[in-house]
Amino acid sequence: MTRFIELLINGLSLGSVYALIALGFVVIFRATEVVNFAHASLLLLGGYVTAVLHADLGFVGALAVGVLAAAAVGALIELVLLRRAKAPRQVVAIATIGIDIVLMAELSRRLGTQVLSLGDPWREKVVTIGGITVAQTRIAALVVAAILIGLFLLAFKYTSWGVSMRAVAEDSETSALMGIRLGRISMSAWAVAGALAAVAAVFITAFPTPGLDRTSSIAALKAFPAAILGGLDSVTGALVGGLLIGVTEALVGGYQNDLTFLGRGLGDVAPYVVMIAILLVRPSGLFGTREVSRV
Amino acid sequence: MSKLRYLPLLLLLLPPFYLDLFWLQAGLFVMAAAIGAIGLNLLTGSTGQLSMGHSFFLAVGAYGYVYFAGESDEHLVGLGLPPVVAIVCAVVLAGLAGLAFSPIAGRLSGVYLGIASLALIFIGQHVLFNVHDVTGGYNGRAVPPLEIFGFTFDNSGDVAPFGIPFGGLEKLWFVGLILLGVSALFALGVLRSRPGRAMNLIRDQQTAAGVIGIPVARTRAAVFTLSSMYAGLGGVLLALTFQRAVPDYFGMLLALDYLAMIVIGGLGSVTGAIVGATFVTLLPQLLTRYSDSLPLVSPPGTGGVSPADAARYLYGAAVVGIVLFLPAGLRGLRIPSLTPRKETTP
Amino acid sequence: MTEVPELTVENLTVRFAGIVALDAVSFAVAPGTLHAVIGPNGAGKSTCFNVLSGVYRATSGRVTFGGHELTSMAPHKVGELGIARTFQNLALSPMLTVEDNLMTGRHRLMRSGFVRSGLRWPSAVREERLHRDRAREIAEFAGIGKKLAHPVGALPYGDQKRVELARALCGEPRLLMLDEPVAGMNATERHEMAELIVTVRESLGISILLVEHDMGLVMRLADHVTVLDFGRLIASGTPAEVQNDPEVLRAYLGEEAAS
Repeated sequence: MTRFIELLINGLSLGSVYALIALGFVVIFRATEVVNFAHASLLLLGGYVTAVLHADLGFVGALAVGVLAAAAVGALIELVLLRRAKAPRQVVAIATIGIDIVLMAELSRRLGTQVLSLGDPWREKVVTIGGITVAQTRIAALVVAAILIGLFLLAFKYTSWGVSMRAVAEDSETSALMGIRLGRISMSAWAVAGALAAVAAVFITAFPTPGLDRTSSIAALKAFPAAILGGLDSVTGALVGGLLIGVTEALVGGYQNDLTFLGRGLGDVAPYVVMIAILLVRPSGLFGTREVSRV
Repeated sequence: MSKLRYLPLLLLLLPPFYLDLFWLQAGLFVMAAAIGAIGLNLLTGSTGQLSMGHSFFLAVGAYGYVYFAGESDEHLVGLGLPPVVAIVCAVVLAGLAGLAFSPIAGRLSGVYLGIASLALIFIGQHVLFNVHDVTGGYNGRAVPPLEIFGFTFDNSGDVAPFGIPFGGLEKLWFVGLILLGVSALFALGVLRSRPGRAMNLIRDQQTAAGVIGIPVARTRAAVFTLSSMYAGLGGVLLALTFQRAVPDYFGMLLALDYLAMIVIGGLGSVTGAIVGATFVTLLPQLLTRYSDSLPLVSPPGTGGVSPADAARYLYGAAVVGIVLFLPAGLRGLRIPSLTPRKETTP
Repeated sequence: MTEVPELTVENLTVRFAGIVALDAVSFAVAPGTLHAVIGPNGAGKSTCFNVLSGVYRATSGRVTFGGHELTSMAPHKVGELGIARTFQNLALSPMLTVEDNLMTGRHRLMRSGFVRSGLRWPSAVREERLHRDRAREIAEFAGIGKKLAHPVGALPYGDQKRVELARALCGEPRLLMLDEPVAGMNATERHEMAELIVTVRESLGISILLVEHDMGLVMRLADHVTVLDFGRLIASGTPAEVQNDPEVLRAYLGEEAAS
């Protein structure tokens, strides 16, 4: 039972990090109708900048630069690609794959075979309460993700930015007529998404993971099933999807010795199996609006 | 228009007589990639259904062939079928794998399918690494050479037209050409008739397609299945050329490469898929071959920008550039007299 | 020409997230007649069309066409019964030629699948030729015979509307549903389109269901008019009867006064 609770806490923590990534992904999709396939490499970029700078700037300073860097690159993608491309949104989504290929090649080349620490203050410390042992990083992840998601939801609901964002997602033409600057909204969506991904990079690579390496983006990719099983255009969906994926991964990974007949490394595959299972029943995700095509 | 414009294609018969093994192998990689890219372009370019899972079906084709044609020993299993039968079985197997995904492939549209198909990569990799008996696990497995009517595609040196000894790759070149030609013609036939028009309308006006009497989900699932069979055939040729199949190769990066190919060449076009496959496949080979004489590129392992990296920057940037400035892909830069009369474009 | 059955709509109700778009609407389209559905914006005309063509699901009620119940059918099954429609906002493939767009309309009448098309099987080649001939005939009929090789996206708006109509005719329908066929056209184009609709009706003998804002056009062409307002049926009858109905006047004048 203790083991189950530990795994559950780890899963929720991991899930809250996935939710953070998926949230950015959904925000971009709502604001611009483009699926950002370069999202995992934005995360890797934020993590890399933080890892390189933390010795000089300290963790917080380095993270701030990492967050800014990922946000800036996100905004740059919006400025250079999304604003100019006249192609259908679907083709623009494929173009983000081009960006992903370039970013990923450059970051993997720089990383080589290194495994870098991001210099987080929690290191390998653990907390034990009532026989339940949890890494501090897992608790920190839960707290930070909860705060950021809370802030985001408040901003989404009450600030003029959030209102504009929702209006654009409903009907961009009318919003533009009403004076909402589409360019600004869409660029801010990309910047916010980049920033959230950079923060998530800290917890994707922190203990018990050995650190940032070229495979860290594989972990970040699990935010994709999280986003789509929740529903690509639903903020609630991103949160629920993230938690579901995190818990699944932790539980399956934790009990994989009982599941050896399914092969090793099952924890990494389970999120995708869950995604397929849910999409089979609900093709537009748990909270996604069914595509109603206007004719 | 005269049929003479197809005459330059005969030049493709010459390389085995003149080029060294490096270029023959590169050419065969291009042919294999082109077959796979034609399949992906039917799905993504012509039907508007994104797939990130194409490399999974390449793997099914490659390992399907190895399994059906290979012999069993103490570590590995194989059925030892005649290689030609094994090719057919491998392509059918890839098609069945695609068909099995049809509840998803039929019901999800566009980018939704793109994300869902990521599952194929990760589940696929998991299976490939765990089914040691078939795939040889991490180190992969040797690919049995092709053999047609007792005529083996290895370096036995039994064939020497015009005094030039033909090894495995020389012979395989002609097989590759035939497979690519048949694949391209079949795809053109599909695109220029009833199913092709239905695919285009599903891409452009999904609701209208349904109302007109086109079963949208069934058509999407059928195209997905067809595109997996193309990937399967591409995978077989890839394995025959490579002579070894390694699970790691069939990962996410390969799937992205195929998407890059069809965007670079031109979405929705058979010629475009071939052009894009040539570009993406040859670029790293060219850079590797001439890395000594190129600025900014250093040989692999020296810490600088390796040819493979340089190639990735270039075609990643090409994807973005083409979406921005050249919506019809490189095919849009075509020489008018060489273009087929009619092809569908997005 | 196969026999044209009657289309009957009984107590059709559609709700979206609590909003009632159609409220127990009933009417019937007699074989070979031109039946118009009119009403102010938001009256439920488009919803009605979308239910009839299988795009939306009805909340309750029945729609039957020659013994077939349409309300539970997928769109492509409805199409197979010989019900074709045009779309208010053009729903064509812009990069395909006019001819290929028309050929999509013949999809349901053709049989060649992937294998036979890919292999250029003789039966597929023959079928393709036969249907292309017929599509060209229909293009001539619709006045776009000279533009067969043009990509649809490059045509003027009026011609695109004609391609829509011609594509629907290519399905050899028994019931043709026209969703605002003259919307956005100038006076000359309207006149020509009206003539075309009259010709379709007279030469093909099929039923036509028309949604249109242009009152003049409706009154001139329709045999029977159904008037909707806020999802409810408020009047039904010949154009002359409907024109003098006080409810109809109120619905329209009310809308004008508000705008």
